[in-house]
Amino acid sequence: MNKWRKINNILHRDFGYFFAGLTIIYAISGIAVNHINSWNPNYIIERKTFNLTYSELNTKNIISILKTLNINETKYKVLQTDVNLTQIFLKDKTISINTKTKKIFYESVKKRAVFHAFNKLHLNHIKGFWTYFADFYAFVLILLSVTGFFVLKGKKGLKWRGTILGIAGLIIPVIFIFIF
Amino acid sequence: MKFIIILMLTLFLASCTPVKDSDILIKKNEIANLKGLKLGAKLTLKKTTKISEILKNPNKFINKKVLVKGTVTSLCSRRGCWMEIVGTEVGERIRIKVRDGVIVFPMSAKGKDAYVEGTVFSINVRNRNHKKPACGQEHKEGSGCEQKVAANIKTIYQIQGIGAIILD
Repeated sequence: MNKWRKINNILHRDFGYFFAGLTIIYAISGIAVNHINSWNPNYIIERKTFNLTYSELNTKNIISILKTLNINETKYKVLQTDVNLTQIFLKDKTISINTKTKKIFYESVKKRAVFHAFNKLHLNHIKGFWTYFADFYAFVLILLSVTGFFVLKGKKGLKWRGTILGIAGLIIPVIFIFIF
Repeated sequence: MKFIIILMLTLFLASCTPVKDSDILIKKNEIANLKGLKLGAKLTLKKTTKISEILKNPNKFINKKVLVKGTVTSLCSRRGCWMEIVGTEVGERIRIKVRDGVIVFPMSAKGKDAYVEGTVFSINVRNRNHKKPACGQEHKEGSGCEQKVAANIKTIYQIQGIGAIILD
């Protein structure tokens, strides 16, 4: 085996092993955020609407509303956020009471533990050092693509299979660029 | 000498001008000592502007950098790319828009107090409460149809956020 091919294969193998986990994380997050219009990839949001039976809002009624909604938390913040809107903020929950329409809107938010963490990395919410590490990873992905062509020689390499599949894989995004 | 005395007197009187209600001065290092989630750029302004003041005189603040304080009442749950804050006056509400991915507001910010720095800007949106009148050929020029169409366009004011602190 040529010396340069040996180095090529070592780089391809070892970087491939090293970044296998991150590639899976980015791929899962990629699928999740690809469908952001049809689902929320970060949070599970539950919304419910109830009728307001009280004619006025006071502390007693607010406590009673919380009890009706099976909320036992004692730490909350009540704020009149608009002329007819009073909102109760609890940890991961919001209750909006519209005194004009006599409706109570309940919203609870739960983090999608795995997806939230993966998206945090993939979309670089962390910033700082992660930006440079992610840049390095992107560079390594280019390296993996290029070295991949030279792992095997002959017909299973660039002489036939590598060239045909490589060009075919490039044609698809090019077609999409020109059509859409 | 006379000039210097007048100048000194002017400077003295200027320094005695009361601070406007809309401009709430923040003590030195107060922002730096705030405990909470810091997002985006560091806050640089030393005084906050009331949201109601911006909404009352938007033209005065357009393209100007402001620091506002309020309670977060709603957020973009998918991308964290905007949040709405309310001030102390009822109905005092403004949306903070940030560039996607540059700042991501977490859902946990809801109900918390926040300081936000950014530039005031306006956008024209179609007023959903009105039906757009059709300006066909039967409408002669000057019939006011175009104005009616224009009336359906509502200007809303937002802040292009560059930095924020969500207080604990």
